[in-house]
Amino acid sequence: MTDLEKLSLELKTQSLASTTRRHFIKDCALGLGGIAMSSLLGACTSSRNNYDPRLNRALNPLAPLPPPHFAKVKSVIYLHMVGAPSQLEMFDYKPELAKLHNQPCPASLLDGKKFAFIRGVPNMLGPQAEFERVGKSGNWVSDNLPHFKTVVDEVAFLKAVHTDQFNHGPAQLLMHTGSSRFGRPSLGSWVTYGLGTENQNLPGFVVLTSGGTPDAGKSVWGSGFLPSVYQGVQCRSKGDPVLYLKDPKGVSRSLKKQVLESINALNYKDYLHYQDPEILTRINQYEMAYRMQITVPEVMNINTEPDYIKALYGVEPGKESFANNCLLARKMVEEGVRFVQLYDWGWDSHGTDHGTAVDLGLKNKCRQIDRPITALLLDLKQRGLLDQTLIVWGGEFGRTPMQETREGKTMQYKGRDHHGEAFTMWLAGGGIKKGASYGQTDDIGYSGVEGRVSVHDIQATILHLLGFNHEEFTFDFQGRPFRLTDVEGTILNQILA
Amino acid sequence: MKLKNSLFFLIILFGSVLLYRCDSPNSEVDFSSQVKPLLNAKCISCHGGVKKNAGFSVLFEEEAMASLATGHPAIVPGQAEKSRMIQVLTENDIEQRMPYRKPALSREEIQLLSDWIDQGAKWGTHWAYVPPIKNEIPSLSSSFEEWGSKAHPIDGFIGKKMREENLVPNPKAPLAVLARRAALDLTGLPPNRILFDSFVNQQMTYSTYLDRLLENTAFGEHWASWWLDLARYADSRGYEKDPARSIWPYRDWVIRAFNQDMPFDRFTQLQLAGDLMPNPTADELVATGFHRNTMNNDEGGTEDEEFRVAAIIDRVNTTFDVWQSTTMSCVQCHSHPYDPIKHKQYYELMAFFNNTRDEDTPDEAPIYRGYSANEEKKLQSVVEWVKEKGSAEKATYFERFAHVLEPKFQLHNCTDFVLGELSDSKYLALWNNGSAYLRNVDTQGHTSLYFYYSAGVEGTVITLRKNGPKGAVLGQLALQKANWTVAKIPFAKQDEPFDLYIEAKNNRLGPEQNTSRIHWFAFAPDLPGKKEKGYVAIEKTYLDVLNAPESTTPILVENPSFMQRETRLFERGSWLAQGELVTPNVPENIAPWDVKWEKNRLGLAQWLVSDNNPLTARTLVNRIWAQLFGKGLVTTLEDLGTQSEPPTHPELLDWLSVDLMTTQQWRIKTLLKTIMTSSTYQQSSQWSEEKHTRDPLNTFYAVGPKKRLTAEQIRDQALYVAQLLSKKMYGPGVMPPQPDGVWEHQYLGNLWKESKGEDRYRRAVYTFYKRTSPYPSFVSFDAGSREVCLINRTPTNTPLQALVTLNDPVFLEAAYAFARRYPYSNSPKSIISSLYEDALYSTPSEERVALLLTLYEAAIKEYTAFPEQLIAFFGTEDTPEKEVAALAVVANAVMNLDEFLTRS
Repeated sequence: MTDLEKLSLELKTQSLASTTRRHFIKDCALGLGGIAMSSLLGACTSSRNNYDPRLNRALNPLAPLPPPHFAKVKSVIYLHMVGAPSQLEMFDYKPELAKLHNQPCPASLLDGKKFAFIRGVPNMLGPQAEFERVGKSGNWVSDNLPHFKTVVDEVAFLKAVHTDQFNHGPAQLLMHTGSSRFGRPSLGSWVTYGLGTENQNLPGFVVLTSGGTPDAGKSVWGSGFLPSVYQGVQCRSKGDPVLYLKDPKGVSRSLKKQVLESINALNYKDYLHYQDPEILTRINQYEMAYRMQITVPEVMNINTEPDYIKALYGVEPGKESFANNCLLARKMVEEGVRFVQLYDWGWDSHGTDHGTAVDLGLKNKCRQIDRPITALLLDLKQRGLLDQTLIVWGGEFGRTPMQETREGKTMQYKGRDHHGEAFTMWLAGGGIKKGASYGQTDDIGYSGVEGRVSVHDIQATILHLLGFNHEEFTFDFQGRPFRLTDVEGTILNQILA
Repeated sequence: MKLKNSLFFLIILFGSVLLYRCDSPNSEVDFSSQVKPLLNAKCISCHGGVKKNAGFSVLFEEEAMASLATGHPAIVPGQAEKSRMIQVLTENDIEQRMPYRKPALSREEIQLLSDWIDQGAKWGTHWAYVPPIKNEIPSLSSSFEEWGSKAHPIDGFIGKKMREENLVPNPKAPLAVLARRAALDLTGLPPNRILFDSFVNQQMTYSTYLDRLLENTAFGEHWASWWLDLARYADSRGYEKDPARSIWPYRDWVIRAFNQDMPFDRFTQLQLAGDLMPNPTADELVATGFHRNTMNNDEGGTEDEEFRVAAIIDRVNTTFDVWQSTTMSCVQCHSHPYDPIKHKQYYELMAFFNNTRDEDTPDEAPIYRGYSANEEKKLQSVVEWVKEKGSAEKATYFERFAHVLEPKFQLHNCTDFVLGELSDSKYLALWNNGSAYLRNVDTQGHTSLYFYYSAGVEGTVITLRKNGPKGAVLGQLALQKANWTVAKIPFAKQDEPFDLYIEAKNNRLGPEQNTSRIHWFAFAPDLPGKKEKGYVAIEKTYLDVLNAPESTTPILVENPSFMQRETRLFERGSWLAQGELVTPNVPENIAPWDVKWEKNRLGLAQWLVSDNNPLTARTLVNRIWAQLFGKGLVTTLEDLGTQSEPPTHPELLDWLSVDLMTTQQWRIKTLLKTIMTSSTYQQSSQWSEEKHTRDPLNTFYAVGPKKRLTAEQIRDQALYVAQLLSKKMYGPGVMPPQPDGVWEHQYLGNLWKESKGEDRYRRAVYTFYKRTSPYPSFVSFDAGSREVCLINRTPTNTPLQALVTLNDPVFLEAAYAFARRYPYSNSPKSIISSLYEDALYSTPSEERVALLLTLYEAAIKEYTAFPEQLIAFFGTEDTPEKEVAALAVVANAVMNLDEFLTRS
């Protein structure tokens, strides 16, 4: 270490001591009384003329905070393919596996391994798709994703991601909360806790699902031990876009406004009596609820988009679809939502029926995402948003190079079992090295042989791009500081621009 | 280069400043309150339970004083200057200086550590590990006039500190405010109007008022909600499939226990070890549901043993979270990073829990099978038969077997499959000519085999042989087509353990077709009186009863001696890397073990509630206090360990803890009444500018407690004031209205079947708790998902909450019903005034009524102009008069007031 490095380290440690998230939040809360009163309710003092109560953490726990370090992106769109998509039919081309098709799996791959369903000795299953090198990067993409081929140079692949969980629920939890057990905050919760959100009329952490809720349930967007205000808010395509958003029959907008004014006026009287700042927070929250009632339906309405955009994504207005959700994700990010989490259900290609066969149902699933994802990348790019947004694509694990056998029986359709040893994910957007491909699996795609990447590495990298040092970004709970990446995680500089 | 050098020089200068030491004489340094927090904050993450860099750890005294690799200890008692530990704190080079690559310690901090070493480096015990003593109550005579001369112990302790801080208490809250506060705190509901009036009109003392509230069965329902968060109670099993679970009898047991004011020591023992009580009653067994609230993974392809172990680990962690305010989950992988608990001790604790019969199976065995009165009568006829033909002892055996059906062998433990496999990784499924082994079966010489199976085809014969395909036939099952049925066959007597070889035959089946699915085998003696008339009927009756349980509550049942599991330490917490063998033991540095206790769960429970355990009573007092004041005497409710915040009033915490264990006999109602009769509790919750400045967090309790109501209270209160709330108690979880699509299962569809009639309006505690999709309005108001123990719900204040109470059909229905309580009159003003008073238990000022009247008139105007707005008003099927509708709008507003959503 050079002297200069030591010096800069010294300065960094100094400044660190004074500015942790917690301090910031705590200081805010303590200084609240006077500030809030004067600003929120109009009796402004000259120095606080421009004070907006929505930007005060104590009045609004989602008020934006500056990132602690230099940030490459402002928001995240995370596309999770629930059930675990088959890397072997999408991105990880294995010609050698084709040669071994239908041959019994070598014992060396089975010894001491546990699979969810495979028992006994399964046969190898060659790739059930055609592959080609595409774009300037020459990265492999299968013909299941024809549109995606045109934007392949925007993304950076991680070809040797691994996880130690091979059941859906625990693996999804690990991917989104850094732990396979329940009770930890999700990635989106950490991010909105640390950064707040830009648009106070929309939730800061939005969840959009197509096909159903992920296996691990709502805990994958839960706030764990963080305050529940940081949990994901599910925005829905059917019914109220946010639960209880719609005014009931008998209450027009103008009457609702009067309802809220009455509530807030009475609450303000209580504030004058009790002088409890929490009452001011409530007044603020009711105003936000009222604005949200207008803003959320606007954002959730895709009909107002021009036809060529709708066609680009292939949306199906009025339905719950992944395409609609991709367009909604763009709209949300455009409006300043911090974290948009998409879950698309139906990727669990066991081959127990037509829908889960890797040569049949999987092709349909790919078709459902191919166009929307391509459109999302292009649309963000044309709006200049791609550079400040991070897109993450992946599942909770990958799939075996062996054909699944279940209960020792012959399977009618071609399917693959759960596989955590090696699978593909990709990232795109701000700070990502375009066209990169990091990591490699062996000839049959069973294990990573180079550039193995853990779930915590990906989480560390996402936090890094948002301006956090994942080792410093902690929350004290049960007597110890917790972090998303637990005690692991290395930033993946190999895919950073 | 020049710049670099000069900057570096600056650093050296800075370092030299750090070296400067103040030589003034120093007072005695206290290890626990001064040194330990500093070590924990600055040193222990690299020199503690997780990492021992340079071989140095400050977790245990012997480690801190030991010689390092260099041969010298880092701490030389009496000689700070010779202690390496102090030297490294003042190094100039940031690469050498400790904490490594972190900001240097302040001069004062270094001084403190130096003084401590100079004074002999005396180690100490963290306050929470020293048993509490009953400190003398500070005299109130020096305190405040407002609090009178009659000393309440709590006020003595609180008053002393307040005076030291030059604060004065608030006056007593107005009686109406106090009445609502106490009622919501004890029953979760606003007070009954008659009771309220007699208290406010001073026809009833405060003490009697509290007694009435404590007698109300609503008390148990309210306090159960608090306990059920700790117990992680839910009506579903969790994980991917998250199917329903029938464990509500445990929830009802908790409600009853609170209402009976069961002493907390007994409450503890029954929940942790009710099954180990002599001849346990149904209630005692159901109480053990506490630890069957762990999740059960029914996802296809999951390894049952992995999730059995996960459940056991959760039981260890939860026990320590709930009773000891100690985070055990850290110790799973390594010694505790901060608290003096070693890695091995975790597994010694796990050994207490590791010998129960449950194995993460889909039937959730062991379960307590409750029978309807009719079935119970049939069972008693069998019991009578056994008593008559056999013995009273045998009768008890068969009665218990009918209720518990243990021990049994789960067939997911089968191995060596030929033509067959586990179906869905759960049940034995053999094809024609298929076979498998169940190893090491001990029948205890029993000759009846009960088994649980499902078969879609007729004609299967399962033959059971001893030790292998050539072995003697021990029994044969001819399976009829059936959907999960208990059946029985005779079984050849075996006195020694053996391997059971199971083979299936059904020539009618094609290849790879399952003959059946078998869940378990259980061995029992034959019913006595085989040769007597009526035996066949009795046998049938018994089997019929076994097949007709009304309720099935997961419970704990200890493994019999021949099924004992050994417990091994998990290396780095991984259940696949099992190490050293361990036996049940408690961390005796917390509290000593009494040899008269058995080394089982019951002994563990006795240890937890023993007088010498310093953590249990403090934990309970702290959390009950927090339920009333919104924060604990130790603000870190989940942790009393060395990383916790120090108590704001340590002597009070200890006084109450000892009082709870002795005078109060562990009774929670007594503890509540003790706290609530203090002047501290009865203060007005009004803040002043001065108090905001002087004590913004109300650390010294000069302001009475104000709290936002819990999710459950918010729902219950709305239904209560609307006079919709059902008084029905107990029973399976109910499903009040929730929006469509909230609980949509991928392949099972919408499983939320809206309850009809009274069940729509039950108290929140009875709402079906679905782990992967909890009731939406509860989630908005900070309820958890009950997947793991939740000690503290952090209250939040969000726009989504406003949307719930403004727009959720449940709250709209309540507002509409509330409005309809008032017959139409010509004076909306007086109606509004009554409505306000009925909701908030306080008379509104003219000004407040005027504000609401303006809203009422605006609504009238709107409905006059647009009468179609009244059709299907508030989502109901009604078209009310515009006056009723306008009043409902006012009710909706009132039910959203801060005053309504909180209790002052």
